[in-house]
Amino acid sequence: MNQSPRGTTPQASFSRLLEMLRPDLLRFALWLARDRAVAEDVVQETLIRAWKSREELKDPTAARPWLLTIVRREHARLFERKRLPTVDVESVEALGDPALASDGDAALHDLRGAIMKLPDEYREPLVMQVLGGFSTAEIAAELKLTQPTVLTRLFRARNKLRTIYGLTPAEDAE
Amino acid sequence: MSDGSSDCAHARLQIGGDPHDVPPVVSAHLATCAACRQFREETLLLDRRLRAALELPLTQFRTQPVAAPARRFALAASVALAVLLAGGFWVLRPQPALAGEVVQHVLHEADTWDAQQLLPASDVADVLKTAGVEFDASLPVVYAYACPFNGHRVPHLVVQTANGPMTVMLLAHEKVSKRTEFALDGLHGVLLPAGGGSVAVLMRSGELPEDLAGKIVSAARW
Repeated sequence: MNQSPRGTTPQASFSRLLEMLRPDLLRFALWLARDRAVAEDVVQETLIRAWKSREELKDPTAARPWLLTIVRREHARLFERKRLPTVDVESVEALGDPALASDGDAALHDLRGAIMKLPDEYREPLVMQVLGGFSTAEIAAELKLTQPTVLTRLFRARNKLRTIYGLTPAEDAE
Repeated sequence: MSDGSSDCAHARLQIGGDPHDVPPVVSAHLATCAACRQFREETLLLDRRLRAALELPLTQFRTQPVAAPARRFALAASVALAVLLAGGFWVLRPQPALAGEVVQHVLHEADTWDAQQLLPASDVADVLKTAGVEFDASLPVVYAYACPFNGHRVPHLVVQTANGPMTVMLLAHEKVSKRTEFALDGLHGVLLPAGGGSVAVLMRSGELPEDLAGKIVSAARW
């Protein structure tokens, strides 16, 4: 981080950048973890790690994908280390979590529920692509999968969600 | 569907994988296959809805006083290590810069001023423990969270006072040489030396309760 607004230190600029992006990180973490407390833990750990590694971020415009990658790795690390129990997807909605508020749009609410219920192997690349803006190649590299495998998982994820809107799923040679 | 159903299957796999970025061979197929064009349009529409669905409203995420959940302690060891590793840098930073950062942090979490309900002392103690700070938790605390701040977890408390809500940040890793008053962006407060660190006390309005601030400084241990 070499650039900073006039009259501020690079550290202060970086700190503001983290604050600004924190909602995005929390949103991303929540879709991965499906548990608000875990998501907040993941984001806090991410912020600590990002601060320690801030010299690695040469271009502030690349901060968002850089931080989202740390979020994903922290989430994976947390699950590997703690072997957290699988989230009961039915209870995610039952909790009435404000993060799943309907916005007055019932279809959107249903879609959120359907995304939450996607298996991890489908939900994770989908969230990375649609919310995180990662390319298929970047997702493949991050998840240590081949690109065709990622493409197939993304196809299947969308195929499962098509029915929410009454669309016919595409044939799948599963 | 065009005469080559395998072409359609391939096209739909690619479209379903990424409807915004299809390879040239699929683009060529789309030029001749109305059914696959429709499939792509449907998928693009679905993606717009997906995007909207994934953009969760987060307005309530940080409005409630959050006691550190039990699992937060699971990270305590790694955080403590991070704090140890990170300790030492940042010490010589000018105090006005620190005041600005504290104000920015507090403004970012301005909703914490609205907390009304007193937290159990055990919840406050949990937050302090997470941040590795010892402190007399008998104050009327209505908000407590171990916030990330300059690479450390820092107890961010809001205390009810006769003059209104007062924010207290226990900055174990931010050494200040002398008492420094500040008034920035509608907030006023003071940075107070406390052992090897400092305490930031801020208010939106009303006179700063100096006696209380003094008690907080003498009660902080790190």
